[in-house]
Amino acid sequence: MMAELTALLTHPLAQMVLALAAILAFLGVNGLVLLYAERKVAGFIQRRPGPYEVGPHGLLQPFADAGKLMSKQLVAPMGADRLLFWLAPLVSLAPVVVCFLPIPFSPLLTGMDVNLGLLLILAFSGLNTLALCLAGWGSNSKYSLLGAARAVAQSVAYEIPLLLAVLAVAFQVGSLDLSAIAATQAKGLLSWNVFVQPLAFAVFFISAVAETNRAPFDLPEAESELTAGFHTEYSGMGFGIFFLAEYSYMVVVCAVATALFLGGWDGPLVPGPWWFLGKVFALVFALMWFRWTFPRVRFDQLLNVCWKWLIPLGLANLVATALLVKWVG
Amino acid sequence: MEQLAYAAYGFYLVLILAGGWAAVRCRDLVRALLGLIMTLFGVAGMYFLMAAPFMALMQILIYVGAVSVLIFFAVMLTRAPGGDAGQEDEERRPARRAVLALLSGVLPAAILAAVVLTQSPQALALKPELPLARLGQMLTGPYVLAFELISVVLLAAMAGAVVLGFERRKGA
Repeated sequence: MMAELTALLTHPLAQMVLALAAILAFLGVNGLVLLYAERKVAGFIQRRPGPYEVGPHGLLQPFADAGKLMSKQLVAPMGADRLLFWLAPLVSLAPVVVCFLPIPFSPLLTGMDVNLGLLLILAFSGLNTLALCLAGWGSNSKYSLLGAARAVAQSVAYEIPLLLAVLAVAFQVGSLDLSAIAATQAKGLLSWNVFVQPLAFAVFFISAVAETNRAPFDLPEAESELTAGFHTEYSGMGFGIFFLAEYSYMVVVCAVATALFLGGWDGPLVPGPWWFLGKVFALVFALMWFRWTFPRVRFDQLLNVCWKWLIPLGLANLVATALLVKWVG
Repeated sequence: MEQLAYAAYGFYLVLILAGGWAAVRCRDLVRALLGLIMTLFGVAGMYFLMAAPFMALMQILIYVGAVSVLIFFAVMLTRAPGGDAGQEDEERRPARRAVLALLSGVLPAAILAAVVLTQSPQALALKPELPLARLGQMLTGPYVLAFELISVVLLAAMAGAVVLGFERRKGA
């Protein structure tokens, strides 16, 4: 009996199912924690306590929110394309699960050691744009459609500097394997890529904020102009899944930034995974901080920042890195 | 593991065929695009199955992530939501249309099939994955002519698009 059980559990298919279930559980808990954290951060930045009534210091607020979202009726607007409308949230959330596989929490704690891990994350996170498009189109609402149009222009523009920044690091290390890139930075603080490639880090992080549609680049949902942009028409868990996907992408982006630039699991005293998670959530905190500090940019400003600053800087940095790698080796 | 591979092959095949069917038959342009994306995904899966993960990921990154989104953008700019795909009058010479469609579908398939059947490929001993550096060397070494020619084709397409855009603007 025991032997059969271990045989079943070590079957590659069973392992895959287990890994996916673990990631989904992490995503759910992550969504709850970040929901609370964001409301508290927003509160403190605006000099108010944030959620305070449900449980001690409002700790049970996310559970109340989740309960509300899950028990609300799902409504599709009249004239909506129901297939596209309900497909969109799923397309938004499903690829995130894949993105978590190659993230190196520590040399041992890596979901799947893919030597193209970086490319895997970039490829699958691109699907989020598609989900926003489907949501905007399927809703049969002008707010949603405007949000989708903005999402496309924004994500297509900002994908270029993001890739340029990532490529510079990949050139320098000579690998697309996130674990290998993190391992080269394990030689103390000054070997972290944020000190070797500060420009690439800045370009990467700014583009990442835009790619995750977070404020100040949250034009696709811009609540003061477009009601809620692409997810205007979603109720209950339709909105809930988009929300979960957004928070999961934040973690993915910050995890990639940690592995590429902040030394991955490198750090003294406590074991690697704690350092990795600590750095990831410090970056997530920075994202929230941005959101409640900067006002939303205008659309022309958004594209100007990309085409006139980030892309030239990214290109210059890439060329300089390539030359240095070629000459110095 | 081998059965898993067969199951995956069947799954991708169904994905490709169903996606292709949807892309051709759907009246709604966005649904047709969704079919196209499904097909592209299936092709990416086939690359994975053939131990070419770099190709597979590039397929997803470029075609699914970028090209289809651009197609979506084009659809959104040209047509009001809920609009039908280009209406063609179906009464005009239906036989001729059917023959032409069949010809354009069957001819490439026949040529490919002839090549595959006569040049029967070696038994598939799965090669280890090709390192990226080697791929780059091949592209800039033995295959440099093909590589450059493809970029010329792209350039021609871009120039054509720009010319078309300018003419449209002059007419308006």
